[in-house]
Amino acid sequence: MTASDAAHVTLLTLRIGAVATLLILVPAVALGYALARRRFPGRSLVQAAVSLPMVLPPVAVGLLLLMFLSPRGATGRVLQAVFGGPILLTWWAAALAAAAMSFPLLVLGAQQAFAATPRRLENVARTLGASPARVFLQVTLPLSARGLAHGLTFAFARALGEFGATAIVAGRIPGETETLSLAIYGRIEAFQHGQALALSAISIALAFVSIAGAEMFLRRRDA
Amino acid sequence: MTSFDLRARLGGFLLEAADSWEGPSAALFGASGSGKSTILEAMAGLRREVEGSVVVGGEDLHALRPAKRRLGWVPQDASLFPHMTARGNIDFAGRGEAAERAIDALELRPLLDRRASALSGGERQRVAIARALASRPRLLLLDEPLASVDRPLRARIVPFLQRIPADLGVPMLLVSHDPHEVLALASHVAVLDRGRVVAQGDPRGIFASAAALGVLEALGAENLFESKVVARSSGVLSLETARGCRLEMASVAGFPDPARVAVRAEDIMLAAHPPELVSAQNILAGDVLALEPLGDHVYVRIAGGGESWVAKVTPRAVERLSIAPGRPVHLLIKAHAIHAYA
Repeated sequence: MTASDAAHVTLLTLRIGAVATLLILVPAVALGYALARRRFPGRSLVQAAVSLPMVLPPVAVGLLLLMFLSPRGATGRVLQAVFGGPILLTWWAAALAAAAMSFPLLVLGAQQAFAATPRRLENVARTLGASPARVFLQVTLPLSARGLAHGLTFAFARALGEFGATAIVAGRIPGETETLSLAIYGRIEAFQHGQALALSAISIALAFVSIAGAEMFLRRRDA
Repeated sequence: MTSFDLRARLGGFLLEAADSWEGPSAALFGASGSGKSTILEAMAGLRREVEGSVVVGGEDLHALRPAKRRLGWVPQDASLFPHMTARGNIDFAGRGEAAERAIDALELRPLLDRRASALSGGERQRVAIARALASRPRLLLLDEPLASVDRPLRARIVPFLQRIPADLGVPMLLVSHDPHEVLALASHVAVLDRGRVVAQGDPRGIFASAAALGVLEALGAENLFESKVVARSSGVLSLETARGCRLEMASVAGFPDPARVAVRAEDIMLAAHPPELVSAQNILAGDVLALEPLGDHVYVRIAGGGESWVAKVTPRAVERLSIAPGRPVHLLIKAHAIHAYA
């Protein structure tokens, strides 16, 4: 494995992590808000369902995703039409698998962040004539930013390290779907322990930089 | 005309309160838990479980969302947006002449660039009032506006609050458990007791009524005296009670002279011997009349300075000072522990 291969795997992993995080950003934050602030029928069921990917075996999530994305199913056919070809065994499938596994982390992070934001401040904003959208964008969101940033960082870091579900729906195609986690597994299988260690070091560095970078950004913002 | 007629069952608390008034400044007066803040929040549209009507300037606002009511609600804790500066908080509500006049009147210009979290309690309160005024409200709702403001600043804020209705054309309704504050700021008062308006009208008349006295007792002011001002100096009023007891109380500029004063039983210290060099302005020699144990405390009834007093102390203090009926004792009362209420 050359340095160029390692760089390619790293960039592909970052791309998949970023796309997965972007895919879940709006729905996860919206669901986190609804769970923190709204009382609706079936809320407990939704809360339990959201947390499922965290406790299920990742391969089981991968299997469900496989059925969901299969061209034999309705959703798979729609996606195939949208993407102009099969989505399984592409980096998009890897991004969707990473998104599914990261989703609960961002939902729960957002839920906690919104729950910790004083409603009284939102009420004050409402009495000052602010629309619901303005209250959310100028009061709720900035006050929840720290918790949201943490949820986002952990979701991204989780997406970078995703393995089980990704292996099921995207396979391990070098240069196309082989992320850092899959590449490490492949090198271990091939008894290339030195390369597996080097890739693990990159993986650790990426996760560390993501989390430490977010922390430094938040500290500078709060100063 | 401004009025409210509100009903709600909130857990075990029943709110059934109604009042109406014509003047530009009114107050809701009552002890903690009487429903004052709930009424203010319901008027602002923040209590959906409260039913009834809220009429301001002849218009019923009950069906309107909070954002459409234009009622400038100032919570007791000010509730400034902590991620904004003082200026950011005020600008959020609106820019223009109303905001600038409020900034000048509340002496906020030197504070505008400070983060909300870097402001003192009194500064936060002033910014919150300016923010509410910047939204050009049809009525200002002030929840205990002077609770976190120290006395020197109170003396500066009170005249401004008094001028708001006339100078800015904004009527106000304030919540208070301080009769003196109500007398200084409101021309109409509704006395609340357990969710009901038990008296309403001109504050001077109301505070002499039995209903208000009941509320004052609920507030814990066990020592109530008729009084008149006999001398005044910087920050201090010298009073004489109807039975000739001389008391020194801290004064607040802008507040009217008190005709009655109250002292809470727990604000009275007892000493077995005349103390030397203490900061308390009032030291009265007296005799213990009776001891009344109540729970973990003992109420000591004392005749001192011509008046009857009740002091609240611990059983250990009774033992250490050998307090017993017939024994001499000295009462120590700080000038700030004497509250005026009418």
